[in-house]
Amino acid sequence: MRELIKKITALLPGRAEPSPQRLDLKELFHLFQAVLTNNNQALSIITDLGEKLSGNYIFDTKYLQEAHRELTGAIEASLANFTLLTGGQYQIAPAFTRINSLVSLMLAGQGEAGAELTLPLARLPWDRGREVGGKNFHLAELKNTLNLPIPDGFAITSRAFDEFIRHNHLQEAITSLGDSPAEGELAALRQTIRAGEPPPGLKEGIERAVAELLARQGRKLRLAVRSSAEEEDDLFSFAGQFETVLNVPPTGEAVGAAYRTVLASLFAPGAVEYQRRLGYRPGTIKMPVGCLAMIEATASGVMYTADPVSGDREQIIINGAWGYGPSVVDGATDPDLYRIAKGEPPRLLATTCGQKRIMSVLDPALGIKNVATPEEQRARPCLSPEQALTLAGWGQAIEAYFKGPQDVEWSLGQKGRLHLLQARPLTVEGGETPAGPAPDGGCPLLMRDTGLVVRRGIAAGKAFVVRHSSDLDAFPKGAVLVAEHDSPQFVRVLPYVSAIITDIGALASHMASVCREFKIPTLVNTGQATSLIRHGQEITLECDDEGKSLVYDGLAPEVIARRPPSGAGMEELFEFRRKKYILRYISPLNLVNPLVEEFSPERCRTLHDVLRFLHEKSIQQIIDSARAPKAKGQVFQLALTVPVTIRLVDLGGGVAAGTGPKIDQEQVASRPLAAILKGLTTPGAWRTGQVAMSARDLLSGIARAQELTASGGVDNFAGISRDYVNLGLRFGYHFNLIDSYCCEQAANNHLYFRFVGGAADLTKRSRRLQMMELVLAEYGFMSKSKGDLLIARVSHLEQDELLRLLEMAGRLIAFTRQLDAELVNQEDIDLYAKRFLAGDF
Amino acid sequence: MSHSVMIIDDEKIVGDMAKLSLEQDGYEVETFLSGEAALARLSEKKFDVVVTDLKMKGIDGLEVLRTVKRFYPETVVIMITAFAHLDVAIEALRDNVHDFFPKPVKIKELKQSIRKALGEG
Repeated sequence: MRELIKKITALLPGRAEPSPQRLDLKELFHLFQAVLTNNNQALSIITDLGEKLSGNYIFDTKYLQEAHRELTGAIEASLANFTLLTGGQYQIAPAFTRINSLVSLMLAGQGEAGAELTLPLARLPWDRGREVGGKNFHLAELKNTLNLPIPDGFAITSRAFDEFIRHNHLQEAITSLGDSPAEGELAALRQTIRAGEPPPGLKEGIERAVAELLARQGRKLRLAVRSSAEEEDDLFSFAGQFETVLNVPPTGEAVGAAYRTVLASLFAPGAVEYQRRLGYRPGTIKMPVGCLAMIEATASGVMYTADPVSGDREQIIINGAWGYGPSVVDGATDPDLYRIAKGEPPRLLATTCGQKRIMSVLDPALGIKNVATPEEQRARPCLSPEQALTLAGWGQAIEAYFKGPQDVEWSLGQKGRLHLLQARPLTVEGGETPAGPAPDGGCPLLMRDTGLVVRRGIAAGKAFVVRHSSDLDAFPKGAVLVAEHDSPQFVRVLPYVSAIITDIGALASHMASVCREFKIPTLVNTGQATSLIRHGQEITLECDDEGKSLVYDGLAPEVIARRPPSGAGMEELFEFRRKKYILRYISPLNLVNPLVEEFSPERCRTLHDVLRFLHEKSIQQIIDSARAPKAKGQVFQLALTVPVTIRLVDLGGGVAAGTGPKIDQEQVASRPLAAILKGLTTPGAWRTGQVAMSARDLLSGIARAQELTASGGVDNFAGISRDYVNLGLRFGYHFNLIDSYCCEQAANNHLYFRFVGGAADLTKRSRRLQMMELVLAEYGFMSKSKGDLLIARVSHLEQDELLRLLEMAGRLIAFTRQLDAELVNQEDIDLYAKRFLAGDF
Repeated sequence: MSHSVMIIDDEKIVGDMAKLSLEQDGYEVETFLSGEAALARLSEKKFDVVVTDLKMKGIDGLEVLRTVKRFYPETVVIMITAFAHLDVAIEALRDNVHDFFPKPVKIKELKQSIRKALGEG
């Protein structure tokens, strides 16, 4: 029957590749080396791209196209060799094509290709992020990859945006906007958008998506309709720039109206100014939108996974207040503050209960409104310590996943369930810390260490006290903005603002995010700025990243002289960001641990992942092939000073030239094998003592011997080259396998260690494995074990380090021979591990 | 008074990146997407340094170099190009180009070269 299946599959199309079984070990080994060479070439191109796009080089599109062409060539060559090596058993080529075509599209300056007008967040594929915008995409990733609770919902795509603009003939009105369009022009455009007609299919699409949501969520459903612009929550936060419509009834009509309101907010004066600062001409940014089921919030807030002011990455900061989020993110309330030390588990360091005078509640007419918090609630922290720690644990996972500090919005539901509403990169200060402020400015002090430092720095100018948002229209260039509350409205004038000082405000407000992005020295929550500082008064502000601050009456020359030069980053150039974006599909490595099931073509998200996959599966192939070799290379018998004989097949340079068929340890030229042998023959490591075997051990041993023989393992065989070893050692009832490539290039190197079997009963055998796992973990191996099977591995180590580990592995093999029968108690595991590590054999 | 630098490259991102980095060091920077536009501006305003791409449609980098050397001999010219061919480099050197960089250009090196050209060490 098995023969028949084999014959049939051989006739199927797509099976033209030579099966790896038909190639001998030497041929397979050459293919393996070719994969490594191609991979290295590809990796060095990736490294070069990263360097050239770091902001330290001026590059052009031609360079990117050329580098991408070379990269594609190297990966294609690797794939071709890999397919021959593995007999085409892995579906990695489609993954490569999919990712690479995304890179090509972006290089050609084209966007996404999807045709959908709405997409559910819960099943959003990772490579369609651009269609739903940054905010939606991050949220979907929280749910789909990290399995964290987010509200149910769907996205209205960038395609829908394009169609809306086209259907309502808005393109001309938008392109005719100048660089600094007049407020009247913008107001007219917003009005046209709010009155716009949905393009064909959008109305139906929204109605269908809302009906599905209603079916899942029930009649109490209300929606939050939020912006998710192209780059929003990506490199730049766009915090508070665009409209969010809350408390939207679950009808197609209401959601459609909210959708248009959000689109219109692209052309609000503040948002246009923000876009202009980021190099966008008005109208070039696309606006996908998110429609999410609202959580009935008892409390809400913001979590930072690092201290944005001091740059301390070991702490998590959570702000929270009663009710819905706006009171916190608009800076209207004085929230609770939780400071947590990162770790497993995280640890609560301090809780500061804020006044929380204001809270946001739902309002049928306004959507949401701020009211006074009931007295009895104010003094109570809005999160329990457990809830704060749960959030912190999630925060750590999110930061690890997105590879950087995060600004996360959260909400506590009616039944005490926490939800995440948003995650975006947090701007964190780092490095160049100027000397802390000292009151030597040569001017009288107005304030000292009052309030919260949002962004450190030094600034001086005339104070401009803002009482109403309409005052902003007259804001003079270079003035210091002084106000009672912080407000996202201030973004409109940020290009002219030299510093901001407010009476009330929070670290976690939208304005705070934007001030950090634009590096504007900002001091909030001083309680007294508007009463101490007069409109038009000349003042100097100095704040450091330890939260210390000084405000001087007058322009303090000595302080101003300490001001570091402004460092505008390349990231502020739109074209630079756009080009750099391609790296996301090239450089990050998501496939990290080959011992877990996620190591599959479907999980590859970047070209780097593809290369990693090719590397790991090539190693696997060569290990499997070497265990049942069809060896054509030269065969030698190696005798050692310990009672072991090994049959060697030399694949090239593994044995010193001019030796006969019988060789000794000295004549082994394979560096990795020589290191293992050195360990194996370390004086004292080889266990020779008589072992006390119980009757149960003996019975178990007989059965195990049969199993091992039936599995067809080859006794004491090694396939070697100068830089490679695949060694199988059978000692009585257990089997050791080491596969290692160990050359000058760390990127090529790996060590795979496998141990199976034993004579003693399963408890003792598993104790031996636990002891080995302890030792291997100490040396930095990743491992997994099941029953009496242990697999451990390391890779990408420098040659010297790897040789040290190979020698250790040799010692471990010698030391653990027959050790299982000696591990009578659970405590022995630790004891023997310590003895081994101490060299006390 | 700060020194003035003109950047000429037919791709916008090159000029933008150069402008951003040089302005940080206090230079006054203007960018142009073609040799024609750049030469027109040169007839109105004196620049201390001209950084030009080599291969451009119409008036190319070599022509910019020759024109500058002929009419504004005190202006320093630095050439950048994706095609770092030796023969072109030699030709440019013969025409008194101050420096020659293949793209991608390391910003630090470009700045050093400009400082040297202006006698700022």
